[in-house]
Amino acid sequence: MGFLDNLLGRKRETSSTIAKERLLTVLVHDRVKLTPDDMEAMRAEIIAVISKYVDIADPEAIDVSLLRGEESDHLKADIPVRRTRN
Amino acid sequence: MARVITITSGKGGVGKTTTTANLGTALAMQGQRVVAVDADIGLRNLDVVMGLENRIVYDLVDVVEGRCRLRQALIKDKRFPELFLLPAAQTRDKDAVSPEDMIELCNSLRREFDFVLVDSPAGIEGGFRNAIAGADEVLIVTTPEVSAVRDADRIVGLVEAFEKGHPRLILNRIRPQMVNRGEMMSKEDVVEILAIDLIGVVPDDEVIVTSTNRGEVAVMQKGSQAGRAYTDIARRLLGEDVPMLVLTDDQSLLDKFMGALGLRPRRTVR
Repeated sequence: MGFLDNLLGRKRETSSTIAKERLLTVLVHDRVKLTPDDMEAMRAEIIAVISKYVDIADPEAIDVSLLRGEESDHLKADIPVRRTRN
Repeated sequence: MARVITITSGKGGVGKTTTTANLGTALAMQGQRVVAVDADIGLRNLDVVMGLENRIVYDLVDVVEGRCRLRQALIKDKRFPELFLLPAAQTRDKDAVSPEDMIELCNSLRREFDFVLVDSPAGIEGGFRNAIAGADEVLIVTTPEVSAVRDADRIVGLVEAFEKGHPRLILNRIRPQMVNRGEMMSKEDVVEILAIDLIGVVPDDEVIVTSTNRGEVAVMQKGSQAGRAYTDIARRLLGEDVPMLVLTDDQSLLDKFMGALGLRPRRTVR
């Protein structure tokens, strides 16, 4: 549907947007000096701590990532918590 | 007050030497007294790019080690009486020179010139450190490729760590058609990623190859878009407010429509 997206002015995933996204990810890791291994270890520890207090819905769905910010970079953890009544 | 400006990049092959030769020539054409210093010891190249390779007697290491006086090693460009080259040694390596030597050398050159342009070697080690040691300002050259931009980011951090102020960016070898098709990062993309000030965008231009073949530089060629871009950068260095060149690919409405349909637009080259 690339041409329709283009005609309607919608953004298509071009190789330049892929390049930019990949660069932003690699640079934030370069700058914070966190290796994928460290990241994985940290993720496991965060899950362990959080699960002491709340019921984590799906450990596989947990997303821990580094994001680029204006002044500083951000570590973002998105942890789905199980929703229970009473 | 003389200015020492180092041109560096991190990644090799992105156009540091070409940039140094073109900016040096453009500044000389604006009436500035300029010396271009080849700090890539052991991999001498600025001389061939400037077309001065046949006239080298002494080099930078000879000056540093006291085998000749500074003025004896300077090669005058006959085409531009205000332009000089201090060539690198070809048979030595980067360890022949220390950062202190480079600071002293740059300070001696300040007395004779308005601009000292230092062409840095690629990399982040000794040669790069020598090249920025005496600098007042740093220009970082990159191309819109992931590898070059990543290395440029590393260099930005190092330049700031060495307290050389905020480096400015030259984005080299932009291909407007590819940017329009979304197949190459734009200057906005690269500036957003690196978060440094842009001093110029240089289009990919065959004239760079053909003029370098002859030992000439693009700023000498009328009608060269890259030459025009380098002249504009030189004027910006001199404090002029020169608007960024709008790089056009001369797409007609039909081309744009075909492009939107995902069909390859006709190419028109100016």
